Amino acid sequence: MENADVFGSSTAPLTWHDFLERMRQPSATDFVKAIKSFIVSFSNNAPDPERDSAAVQEFLTNMETAFRAHSLWSGCSEEELESAGEGLEKYVMTKLFTRVFASLPDDVKIDDQLHEKMALIQQFIQPENLDIKPTFQNETSWLLAQKELQKINMYKAPRDKLVCILSCCKVINNLLFNASIASNENPPGADEFLPVLIYVTIKANPPQLHSNLLYIQRYRRQSRLVAEAAYFFTNMLSSESFILNIDANALSMDESEFEQNMESARTLLSGLSMDSDDMPSHSDQNVGKVSRTEPKEPKKQALNPKRPQGPAMRPQFSPELFEAESGNDQEPYAKDQSFLTKVPSISDLENRGATMLLKEDQASQVFQDFPYLFSKAGDLTVKDVEDLLNNYKQLVSKYVCLSQGLGVPTPLTLSISQSQSQHHTETMKESDDTRAVEVNIETHKDIERIDNDSNDISMFGVENPESKLPQDEAVASQGEGNDEAVASQGEGNAEISQR
Amino acid sequence: MGCSSSLPDRTSGRLGGLNSENGGAPDAKNLRVKLVLLGDSGVGKSCIVLRFVRGQFDPTSKVTVGASFLSQTIALQDSTTVKFEIWDTAGQERYAALAPLYYRGAAVAVVVYDITSPDSFTKAQYWVKELQKHGSPDIVMALVGNKADLQEKREVPVQDGIDYAEKNGMFFIETSAKTADNINQLFEEIAKRLPRPSPS
Ligand SMILES: Nc1nc2c(ncn2[C@@H]2O[C@H](COP(=O)(O)OP(=O)(O)O)[C@@H](O)[C@H]2O)c(=O)[nH]1
Ligand SMILES: [Mg+2]
Repeated sequence: MENADVFGSSTAPLTWHDFLERMRQPSATDFVKAIKSFIVSFSNNAPDPERDSAAVQEFLTNMETAFRAHSLWSGCSEEELESAGEGLEKYVMTKLFTRVFASLPDDVKIDDQLHEKMALIQQFIQPENLDIKPTFQNETSWLLAQKELQKINMYKAPRDKLVCILSCCKVINNLLFNASIASNENPPGADEFLPVLIYVTIKANPPQLHSNLLYIQRYRRQSRLVAEAAYFFTNMLSSESFILNIDANALSMDESEFEQNMESARTLLSGLSMDSDDMPSHSDQNVGKVSRTEPKEPKKQALNPKRPQGPAMRPQFSPELFEAESGNDQEPYAKDQSFLTKVPSISDLENRGATMLLKEDQASQVFQDFPYLFSKAGDLTVKDVEDLLNNYKQLVSKYVCLSQGLGVPTPLTLSISQSQSQHHTETMKESDDTRAVEVNIETHKDIERIDNDSNDISMFGVENPESKLPQDEAVASQGEGNDEAVASQGEGNAEISQR
Repeated sequence: MGCSSSLPDRTSGRLGGLNSENGGAPDAKNLRVKLVLLGDSGVGKSCIVLRFVRGQFDPTSKVTVGASFLSQTIALQDSTTVKFEIWDTAGQERYAALAPLYYRGAAVAVVVYDITSPDSFTKAQYWVKELQKHGSPDIVMALVGNKADLQEKREVPVQDGIDYAEKNGMFFIETSAKTADNINQLFEEIAKRLPRPSPS
């Protein structure tokens, strides 16, 4: 998997900056005009994915041919031309994003359907249901792969979204490969890979999966969605298709067993959502679409696992809730005000507290005071159990009292938290790995930012998603509708107007 | 483990890959070919590919940590090269319906069965029918009876394979990924059968 193909050639942060720099040259005037008028041409038409995708593909192809012939790139290597093409794709698609992403109600419907289905199935699916052999089971490490997928809405450029998928596949492949060596098995093939990808996808429940896949398929330049990248992307399409069609048979379950599992998952999730029904869902990367303005029925919200519940609830919604952009001191807090206008629910309070913690940037210090928060299950001794149990009882009674005092229902029951204990150990390990603090901020999408005419080049510290190992990021933002993340990479702010 | 005990060579560099992949003109001398593997779990698909990819010295071949996607370039007599991009598919029954996503756009389909398993031969015939119905019309198909080293356990006569392949206009070969018998021949024969872009 260290196959360079997977990530195309434009992995360097330089690429993006370099593209913008070239476009600012006087001799690039015609290119700039062409690009701007192409982008403007989109605002005149209603979304039509077939036509739009064909138009973008054709435009990218023609422009790249023109780059090749132009003096700006004379004497340049294939790599540099390829980079220019990547830069162009990213620029154009960042500008067109809000127009073309999740633009059809039918696609949005499938997004919701998928999300709901994964939210339910993730409650009870086991690796065996998908033919994942015991040798290759490694739920804890799969969390790393899940994290990669969950970042998909942090980006607008098709390539960057694709890289999230490829990084996820890469993590899975590496884990399978290590397991195969350890157990003296043949290197993993599709029989091993696909089931794990499906499992990881269900557990990750990435936002707007269907729309994201369509978007990559339509707007990633075709000549760059080839070879290994195409293979792994196809596996993702294939996972989506499998998940949409999951029934009892697909999981080797009895009809009745499957229905029963689905039913308890529904009950569990609707119970969880009781304290949050009054809050809108903010998991979409692209809001403001027609289809999004209709009120959501409570059931859908109930099944949206992207928001914080009670503390003991979190583990099951692993691992994204353990992530926060702690170094990020801009923007998301602006919406604090919205809390003032209504009676706060527990999760409102929780969010506000989390935001305050983040703001002060002392989160990790505060959490250090709780001795068990960063422990691994294996570190605990029998003696710790009593201590932990006492802590737990105090915590529960405090929580229940607070809830009662606020007049909001207590959204957890003992049996639920017990059933989740296994997941809990996993997430505890995760938090230990990343030193991340559990914070979940609902961000208002700020889609206007994309048109922000800032030429701030210092913002162009373009993140290079594939260069970092999953474990390396101490903190990462939630990845849902998180335009701050995009903006801070300079994508949203880049302009090619000439100086 | 029947196929190979050596680990993949992870040091190969990244060469090539740029010419036909970034939209340059298609090159009649250097073909790039998508090949999809179909067949029951356990018939030896992974072993065949690994044997093919490792068994040949080629500095441009990319080696990965898995066997789900591998590529390998071979040189033919007429000084053309063919780069196979080999797509493995999950053979478990529950994933059968997903296969069209993989063979869509494939230039070659290699359908593998195990000569010691009549069930796997039946499954191979199912895949051939599927490909005839839904694959691209000019797809090159090969039928492969693997594990030919297990003669004493053979349950599918060679003639059955030959007959079925002939009836369906396929290339047929028996291989052993264990002994490497006929592995290179399989891919060379496929390469010869590929439609060539007409030189103009
Ligand atoms: N005797 C023998 N065993 C083989 C041969 N090819 C594969 N095997 C064995 O068959 C099993 C399944 O092989 P694998 O390549 O994983 O099958 P796949 O599921 O089709 O990819 C493994 O235990 C291999 O060692 C062969 O040509 N001869
Ligand atoms: Mg295999």
